[in-house]
Amino acid sequence: MHPVLQNWRRFGLWMGAWIPLGAILILVARLSGHLTFFEAMAVMTPAIIVMAFVCLSPFYVCRSLPLRSAPREKILINHLAAAFILTGGVMLVGRFAASLLTPSFHRLDERFGTAVPVLALVVLMIYFVAVALHYAALELEASRRNEILAREAQLKALKAQVNPHFLFNSLNSISALTTIDAGQAREMCVRLADFLRTSLRLGERVTVSFAEEMALMKMYLDVEQVRFGGRLRMKQDIDPACSDCDMPALLIQPLVENAVKHGIAMMAEGGEIVLAGTRDHDWLRFSITNPYDPEAPSTGRNGLGLRNIRDRLESRYGGSARMEIKVEERLYSVILTLPAGKRK
Amino acid sequence: MSIRVVMADDEELARRVLREHLNTESDIEIVAECSNGFEAVKAVNELAPDLVFLDVQMPKLDGFEVIELIDSDAAVVFVTAYDQYAMRAFDAAAVDYLLKPYSADRFRASLERVRVRLREAKPAASVPKDLKLASRAPGDHVERIVVKDGPKVHVIPAGKLDYAEAQDDYVALRSEGRLWLKQQTISSLESALDPRRFIRLHRSYLVNVERIARIDANTKDTWLAVLTDGTKIPVSRGGYARFREIVGGE
Repeated sequence: MHPVLQNWRRFGLWMGAWIPLGAILILVARLSGHLTFFEAMAVMTPAIIVMAFVCLSPFYVCRSLPLRSAPREKILINHLAAAFILTGGVMLVGRFAASLLTPSFHRLDERFGTAVPVLALVVLMIYFVAVALHYAALELEASRRNEILAREAQLKALKAQVNPHFLFNSLNSISALTTIDAGQAREMCVRLADFLRTSLRLGERVTVSFAEEMALMKMYLDVEQVRFGGRLRMKQDIDPACSDCDMPALLIQPLVENAVKHGIAMMAEGGEIVLAGTRDHDWLRFSITNPYDPEAPSTGRNGLGLRNIRDRLESRYGGSARMEIKVEERLYSVILTLPAGKRK
Repeated sequence: MSIRVVMADDEELARRVLREHLNTESDIEIVAECSNGFEAVKAVNELAPDLVFLDVQMPKLDGFEVIELIDSDAAVVFVTAYDQYAMRAFDAAAVDYLLKPYSADRFRASLERVRVRLREAKPAASVPKDLKLASRAPGDHVERIVVKDGPKVHVIPAGKLDYAEAQDDYVALRSEGRLWLKQQTISSLESALDPRRFIRLHRSYLVNVERIARIDANTKDTWLAVLTDGTKIPVSRGGYARFREIVGGE
């Protein structure tokens, strides 16, 4: 059903809009048909009411022929055909009213006949405006839906954020340290708290600076360092020009988690995670590389985290941001290329 | 008589908590500490302990693969931060499933279970090997097959298995030109692998779909599958029907 017909308020507003439009049509009929104002109103009122409904019909055509994807000529032909048929219909209603009223008004149908060409042209114009309005409304709705999708993707990212197994394993490390080295146990609690607090704080925001995101990653790796000891090594090669770039919050955090979970944790001897960032004019390029064992047992990787990142890039940057995955002999890299907007 | 223990966890700290708890017990003797699945299989098969503590996610082999490859009737206790493997662990006849981090009380309760289990007659407690191997959630298929190769462990990725042939209590696995023997029935192997990728063409043969070059008629009710390397495999009437169902009729 048409959205205007879905509730009384919208319907009332729509019909209200037809008072001035109707006035214009009545005026056109009066001027080009030598009718009195009263005659014009009597003839045109039924036609105007019919038109108010006819101008809702582009909704269905517009929805089935979206501007972006449907072929141009198909859009044009469909709307033109509908416009001519419906204009003809409205004019017939007018003619019918005129012939009914002819006995009471002298030669009304004849006088109305002279107004038909100009009137038809105006009706056609109004119909085209209705088509344009419908396309605009559909576009508005689509962009609102995209916004909701982006929000949802962010929420999902947040939920995935504090991975419960990360927490449980960290707590297990703390439980081990309490008797071995109380000082380090306390240190681990502080690191864990730092990470959790920061990830909650950044998670509330839509965008953060690259430097903030990197700091969060560092906190995460500090916690995992306690768990994996010498098995987890890290190298950073970040161009300072990247620091103030704007980026979606917690976008790359899941990548570090993957690097640890599917990479380092599955290697008996551990390995080095390499983080690299460069800035080239308008582009920010970030890569994370970890060694992995191609023969490791499955860790239940289902690519959900990566798909989530891809969705968030798509909803924020359209097609202009990129995520590449490179799998070499024993190295797994994810490379992100984002437009380097500055933080305000 | 003390209980001989092997523990396997890739995290040093996790092993230390375990060791600390075990050291408070007088009847426990730790015979090996392992930091990956290969080491665990080797230690258990060489030392034949009474009890094994196993992490699930470890380098080389995961905890379930370790269970598949050990011969002994050792009691197994899983120790992991993941709760989603509990069902599978008990299906694989684990005595207990400890969630990290665990309390001293919970740990003692677990050891108590183990003591009861070890006092019981062993044969009654031991679970048929096939049941251990079949322990898997429906829809969850193995991506690789682990086989013992003398003292070592060989891993065959599912995609590199050409076919499996039943041989009494064993299956012969053909992969990359070599033949591997594993103590498992062909039916349990069939249920572990993805049914869309492996077809039981015959009572004794399970074949990788991608390796089938063509199927020729043989006699009235039997066919012959010709694999991409030229190997010929008998196809039963039921096997032919299953093949048609998966590949689609010609």
